Amino acid sequence: MKVTVISIPVRDQQHALDFYTKKLGFLKKLDIPINETDRWLTLVSPEDQDGVQLVLEPAPLHFEPSRVFQDALMEAGFPYTQFDVESVQEEYDRLMGLDVEFSVAPTDMGTVKIAVFNDTCGNNIQLVEYL
Amino acid sequence: MSIYQQHLENYKAKKFANQGQLETIMAVKHHIDDHYQEELNLDVLSTEGFVSKFHMLRLFKKYHGQTPSQYLTDKRLEKAKELLKSGASVTETCYAVGFKSLGSFSALFKRRNNISPKGFQKRATLKK
Repeated sequence: MKVTVISIPVRDQQHALDFYTKKLGFLKKLDIPINETDRWLTLVSPEDQDGVQLVLEPAPLHFEPSRVFQDALMEAGFPYTQFDVESVQEEYDRLMGLDVEFSVAPTDMGTVKIAVFNDTCGNNIQLVEYL
Repeated sequence: MSIYQQHLENYKAKKFANQGQLETIMAVKHHIDDHYQEELNLDVLSTEGFVSKFHMLRLFKKYHGQTPSQYLTDKRLEKAKELLKSGASVTETCYAVGFKSLGSFSALFKRRNNISPKGFQKRATLKK
């Protein structure tokens, strides 16, 4: 078995595609229509374009428990997933300049530095830098 | 303050309470980061970190989730990929990142990436 994709629930796939490519800097990899409204939409990191793909999954639109779970995480401030970066401070500064909202500013956590932002698609996302 | 922020504060207070321990083990990690090309063993690492060999081993795993030698191997393989992508030969890459045997390097690379170093380089070049 091989890990090739991880999924993240989003409320609006097109909005998510714009946010994740234009603000976060991911690249679109696959875009396959599933039905009139949904797409199999995946992203990759520019520096690892053959690596694990991130699926922008519209589950909260169609499956109530997914929406409830996503809302509960958001309300408690828990990140849905995390991405590694070279410098949390630099990404924080860059994303703040693009009006991205952070619930946790860059914080040292022993062996790592973290920050948490709102992806505007229903999720908190944690950035991690290994110190 | 959100539940997650409380969770972070509690975790930090509990997990990283011993600042001296943390600093020592971070120094060992940074030593590996800076000297992965050299012959490193636990004796050298524990000398750098000023702790006994086995204590250092336990602490490193506690803070980083893997042993120093696992971390060192990961670091060397990561750097090997960068060198292969930049056009260095397999032999040059092997010795430049600190492996002592071309055969062991190639076998390990293949086992960990499901492709030989040469094949990895060819694939990377084709994609440019």
